Amino acid sequence: MIQRSTAPPRGPRSGPSGAQGGGRGGIQKRRGGGPVRVDKDGDLDMDGSGRGKSGKGRLESPTPTRPQRPQPPGRGRASTPRAGNLGTQKAQQAILRGLGAKQANVLDSRVSTGGTTLQVDGLKSSKAASNPDGGLDSLLGFLERKAAALDSGSNRTVRIKKSHIKGDSVIITASPEDIEQIAKLNSFVFAGSSLTIKPCESASPPHGPKEDKNVVSQTAQETKEKFRAILAARYDGNLKLLNLSALAQDTELLQMGFGAFDEKTTSKLFPALMVVADQLFKSWQEKRDAIVSVSLANNGLSDVAAVTSLAQTFPDIKNLDLSSNNIKDLKSISAWRWKFRNLETLVLANNPVETQAPNFNVEIMKWYPKLQNLNYVQVRTPEEVAATIEAVNTPIPISGPDFRDVSQVGENFIRQFVALYDTDRGAFLSSFYDAESVFSLAVNMHAPRSREHTAPVPSWDTYTKHSRNLTKLTYAGPRLNRRYKGVQAIQPVWAELPSTRHPDLGTEAAKYIIECHPLPGLADPSGQNPGGVDGLIITMHGEFEEQKIATEKALRSFSRTFILGPGAPSGPPIRVVCDMLTLRAWTPLAMPSQSAPHPAQVTPAIGVEQQQKEVVARQLMEKTGMTMEYAVMCLEQTAWELPQAFEAFQQNKVLTYIHHSYVKLMKTANKTHRTNYPPMHSFQGPLYKMYELICSRSQDTKSLANIQ
Amino acid sequence: MAEPADDIQVKIATDAAEKFVESYYPSLNNAKGRAHLTEFYIRPTEASPLQADITLNGNTVADPAQLQSIFENQVSKAHYDVQSFDCQVINTNYNVGINETMFAPNKDGKKMSILVMVNGSVKYFRDNTDGEIRGFTETLVLVPNFEAHGPKSPKGAKKWLIQSQTFRLVL
Repeated sequence: MIQRSTAPPRGPRSGPSGAQGGGRGGIQKRRGGGPVRVDKDGDLDMDGSGRGKSGKGRLESPTPTRPQRPQPPGRGRASTPRAGNLGTQKAQQAILRGLGAKQANVLDSRVSTGGTTLQVDGLKSSKAASNPDGGLDSLLGFLERKAAALDSGSNRTVRIKKSHIKGDSVIITASPEDIEQIAKLNSFVFAGSSLTIKPCESASPPHGPKEDKNVVSQTAQETKEKFRAILAARYDGNLKLLNLSALAQDTELLQMGFGAFDEKTTSKLFPALMVVADQLFKSWQEKRDAIVSVSLANNGLSDVAAVTSLAQTFPDIKNLDLSSNNIKDLKSISAWRWKFRNLETLVLANNPVETQAPNFNVEIMKWYPKLQNLNYVQVRTPEEVAATIEAVNTPIPISGPDFRDVSQVGENFIRQFVALYDTDRGAFLSSFYDAESVFSLAVNMHAPRSREHTAPVPSWDTYTKHSRNLTKLTYAGPRLNRRYKGVQAIQPVWAELPSTRHPDLGTEAAKYIIECHPLPGLADPSGQNPGGVDGLIITMHGEFEEQKIATEKALRSFSRTFILGPGAPSGPPIRVVCDMLTLRAWTPLAMPSQSAPHPAQVTPAIGVEQQQKEVVARQLMEKTGMTMEYAVMCLEQTAWELPQAFEAFQQNKVLTYIHHSYVKLMKTANKTHRTNYPPMHSFQGPLYKMYELICSRSQDTKSLANIQ
Repeated sequence: MAEPADDIQVKIATDAAEKFVESYYPSLNNAKGRAHLTEFYIRPTEASPLQADITLNGNTVADPAQLQSIFENQVSKAHYDVQSFDCQVINTNYNVGINETMFAPNKDGKKMSILVMVNGSVKYFRDNTDGEIRGFTETLVLVPNFEAHGPKSPKGAKKWLIQSQTFRLVL
């Protein structure tokens, strides 16, 4: 602004000055810019410039009551145009001084105002009221002259800074010293009318500081609207592109003071533009969906310092165009080294960096692991990017469940759990729990969620008083009290927890990952094995739907571990030793990666081996009662080794394989239909028949099975 | 000798779980710690051939040495952040792999086996690439390190060792 003030003073300058929020005071600042004024006392054009009506500070005047008057020296704002104007001002001073020296009588009446505002009554009944402006101008002139004249000998001038008409009164504002002088004019006669001058009631005139503030925010609002219009004009909805190229050539922005990027004004305007852009969106998701690409081409940028706020506002953009700027090296854009983590396309063409740092592309590729296209050249395929990301995200590949069951004890238990826990917790409790069974639950309120699922998490209220998250629960008392031991203690807690619906194991099996393996060293409730007995540890990961109130449902993700062991002689045959539940905000379960090694997928060889295989398959058929078709399938999983195939069959490893195959099939199905996975029995092929066959058998080989 | 009282059980188990969580995950997060991962696991001996049962994302891991090598070679950098954990006593008198003369219960809770379930977030890194934040759940069974019980036990030996570990990324 300061620079701008040196510009020729008279031009009608509308937009820019207001847009910069300079707080032009707005109302009736009595300064230069009014029409030629004819003073009552001496037809004097005090300004002599004849400037037009469109002077500064008039943009917001709600109640223009009086033509503006010349600005006295020393009181104006720094931005008041001075150049070419000094002579006039000097003349003014001289005249005013002269006026002040005219009168010498001092009045004793002193009205202490303590403020800077006075209410003057009596204009209405004066002869001046018939003037075109209601006589206000004359009155103000009168007051200034008379007040200044009160102090004879002093060369002081009295200036009324602001004035407006309120009903029959005139409200004037001046400096405290001047107000004190003007107040002395109470009961002076002006144009045949006796004036009443008194301090203004605190019911302040409409133009207080508050009004000024409104004016400023209104200005800001206007700026905002301008920015919005600019953004709208530069947004391509089809390409989802925000085109911020060649900003310095934008006439709208130019009017707002936008210049080259190294200028101060510009460095403020760009972040402001970003703030306005940000406010256009209700959520991150909305923003991500709307703006995928941004162009900053042709902006003369030598570095990204002035535009770095782009990275805060649009961190997820995939395509960025920085072409035709003045970027010389990578250091100039290093502020964005760790930004734009999803960048797929970057254009740096037509920048000095191309020639000055020949290896910049190698480095840039390191910066942005998802980058596929650099300067119009494909540098990575989407598959390569996916593989890299997968490798980074999952250094330990995700495989299907490791379900090492013993005689289907685990499987049967889980089936019972899913069937009963939702419908009849009491029945489930009495079937598997005894006086020593322990249950506890912990809520992880900070569990990470996928970016695609950002819906607010339903309240954990009903769980928190039971939550035994030991990172939060540090005192021994609650740690003991929130571990529920025995059916008697567990029952009331389960009764209190919201009712649930777990996905069906048959039709929605893909919503679970259930793993188990044998666990030695459990206590033997019969007391016969002091060294301990074997059991099973099962961990299931999945989700359930919670019935909060009649109409509201909430989805939760959970992991639940059960330790099963042989029951006491008088109790259930299989008992739950431990039941530990972890709850977290719902998010889809990470499923086995496609690339993860699949358990033993061996393509059967053809030719000479075929006959040998047939022999082996027949042997397996005899041993297991499977048909040839299924025996071959089973053998294929064990590299045609008969003993292993048989063992696998016995240990339900085949079942595990089938489960894997099923999950894989479902994944494929899901890709095509994006709906619920088809139920397993809809696969009427050999897989399902084998599954049925195995499920119907029971191999009583391990310790747990003896108790069944 | 009597079984440990409930409050002792909970005190000892929660302390053991807490100590484990506070030492194991930081070890995964830095190279120095990874070099000593095997120390967290039971070691099969002639008297007690039991091997730790380790499963990571559904992949069975042969032994603690393999686990350590996975972390040293395959997982270049990781940051595990434990956000919740809970524990329960599985058996107050765990007698696997010890002489029958030591089968009597310990009232101070030194012979318990403990179930620990940990839930948190993890972020993996490789080269200049940081992965996305993922969620994990890990189920562990801790058993007493009987070697740390005797008067001649090595200084600083861990009191509890992993007997079973099932890790899975859940997000």
